[in-house]
Amino acid sequence: MAPTNTSHRQTHNLLLISKLLSLRDTASPLALVLDSLEQPATPLIKEYIRRAKLSKVHITFVAFETLKPLEGVDAFVAARKKSPLEIIKAVNEAYPNVSTSGPSRRRLILIDAINPLLHARRTDAQFNVSSFLSSFLMPHGPPTASKVEASLVVTFHQDVPSPPLPSPYTPSPLSMLTYLATTIIRLHSFSHIMAQKAARDRSLVPPVFGLEEELDGVLLGRLDKPIGNETAQGVVLELEHRRKSGRGVLEWYILPPASRYPPQYAKEIVTLLDDHPLYRPPEEPDFGAGEEEPESTFELRLTDRQRRDREGVVLPYFDAQQGDGPGEGGRILYDMGEEDDFDEEEDEI
Amino acid sequence: MPTQPPLPPLLAPYVSSLPPSSLIVLSTVLGAQGNWLTLRYLYAALNASLTSDAALSFGEGHNRKKQKVVLVSFLRGWEFWRAEAKRLGLDLARLTDKRQFAFVDGLSELFAGPRTTPTPSTPQTTTQTTPPSLAPSPRGGPVPQRTILPNRSAPSPIPARGPAVAAPAPFAPVAPSAPPAAPASREVGPVKRLHLSGKGPAALDRLEKDIAAVVGHLNGRAAASAEGEDDSEVLLVLDQPDLLLAATGPGKEIGATEMTEWVMGLQQYVHATVMTLAADLPLIHNASAAGHQMPTPLETEHAAFAIGSAHRAHLVMQLRDLDTGAARDVSGVLRVSKGGAWGQSDNTDANGNWEEKEALYFVQRDGGVNVFGRGE
Repeated sequence: MAPTNTSHRQTHNLLLISKLLSLRDTASPLALVLDSLEQPATPLIKEYIRRAKLSKVHITFVAFETLKPLEGVDAFVAARKKSPLEIIKAVNEAYPNVSTSGPSRRRLILIDAINPLLHARRTDAQFNVSSFLSSFLMPHGPPTASKVEASLVVTFHQDVPSPPLPSPYTPSPLSMLTYLATTIIRLHSFSHIMAQKAARDRSLVPPVFGLEEELDGVLLGRLDKPIGNETAQGVVLELEHRRKSGRGVLEWYILPPASRYPPQYAKEIVTLLDDHPLYRPPEEPDFGAGEEEPESTFELRLTDRQRRDREGVVLPYFDAQQGDGPGEGGRILYDMGEEDDFDEEEDEI
Repeated sequence: MPTQPPLPPLLAPYVSSLPPSSLIVLSTVLGAQGNWLTLRYLYAALNASLTSDAALSFGEGHNRKKQKVVLVSFLRGWEFWRAEAKRLGLDLARLTDKRQFAFVDGLSELFAGPRTTPTPSTPQTTTQTTPPSLAPSPRGGPVPQRTILPNRSAPSPIPARGPAVAAPAPFAPVAPSAPPAAPASREVGPVKRLHLSGKGPAALDRLEKDIAAVVGHLNGRAAASAEGEDDSEVLLVLDQPDLLLAATGPGKEIGATEMTEWVMGLQQYVHATVMTLAADLPLIHNASAAGHQMPTPLETEHAAFAIGSAHRAHLVMQLRDLDTGAARDVSGVLRVSKGGAWGQSDNTDANGNWEEKEALYFVQRDGGVNVFGRGE
């Protein structure tokens, strides 16, 4: 059962992540990327941009905390000091509204961090995350002939504390976003995943890093080269995708560092985390080990003669079943061997 | 103990040759202050421009541009920085005259009313529409006290009001729109004092304008002097701007987002920015540790500002106490980590050749600093 399951996961889930990252078939209109200081979203955002460039998707970058445009971005909208309405207007204007004869064009809207907007004092009580985000996907402008398929990728910093909620009954911004998103990608650092797995394999408490250490003065715990783990580079993506049918897909992937492949590389580079050579399921090495007998100083095996003798033994309860009368069954029948001494007191038959 | 070089070799790659439009966050705690590291940034920028030979010794010095520094200090005054820099061999007053350095005092008159100007003859140019009742800010009373605490390493507590140093006129009007190349504006003294007036983002905008004027003033001379290398780089050092956040708070409609946008605005004027922030445990973790108690607005906003800044930073230099307790020959631990914005641009030149590192440091009695690895 296990091997078929793995191959099924390999084919289907790899296809899924490739569809999601390459924005094919508008598989997911709103992707939420949850990052932290331990694993920032920059590598994943650059991967989105790289793939969008390959498939000639128009990229709009809404910058709440980035100053300089990233390379490969078609339109850069600085959201600093803008109200939500102004941002929506600027983003909609950023797209060249040419009614091209070709089929519906696709566009990708990246938001580098939604936290400043949720925190800002200028956003009044009427501000609504869901309507803000949906206005990117469905612009209210005049319906143009060529329909634009927009995909939205929103980054949320998990470790930035949320402002106090205006009312105890309003959901927190994060739960709103996770409710709205069709795809949620949580990012982990591969070296941390490896360290936590190594601890779990030994039944130790998995270590925590960075802010979770709760050490005075520690904001980041990441180090380039954890000792002895030099090849553990890459970003682990914990993907939760909600299909249109409502079924959810959960999978762990690993995105290798960008230096491992050329920018024009068209094949899929993301692999399942379980397929990574450094992260194997722990059962596999145990299969081979189960074949051998444990070594011992005692000889535990039987010779052929000993086995035959053992099979020839009639155990007392067989005798008891013959029903020769009460008290008759259950006697111990013993044939004396040559080496046995006859003892009158004990061995009376 | 042998005298240390002003720039410890382990530290040199991180303080010199900062990538363009980068933000470096320097997080400190109460027991491990970052003044010495701030001074090393000043030294790396200013000393290299003093003697161009010294720049060559840092490697890749051939394409170094002239560096100028604007230091905006919210917790420490001019006298403190001048005295500390002198121990490193930097004469800040002379550099100010040469317009390679400018000091912006965010401490002395940040909340002061107009009448407390120490030199009443010179008019304060910032628009002072504040009603005087805003100045003492009764509700923010306990909050700034908490942030001023780290001031203990200053030789004299708040010395910035003393008579300005060797400059002819302590300060002259620097109108934000003043033509920087005008000869009259040469008399800008060593200290430009910030004054917070009004509420919310508008007040921050005025501060930004004031600082931008100082930056423009430094840049202006380079353009006017018409030298071959007039594209000098300005390094902006913001020393504990979290005071602003702590002292204003939600009552004045200044929160983490507004502060972040203010810093972003300042970044646009300069080549690189170094910002020191307090990262003490209660300021960072009370807001996230759910369930203990309701976090105060200050805790939430400060944590959001500090962590958000780390997300925006290229490099985060974290100072903290030694984990195993105080030691006689170790002052603290310096951990250099790549921030959230590291690796945004593709060319390796902009990313620098930084690698993450953790080292110990020791600040000696004479101000010299030794940075060394564990066990060395």
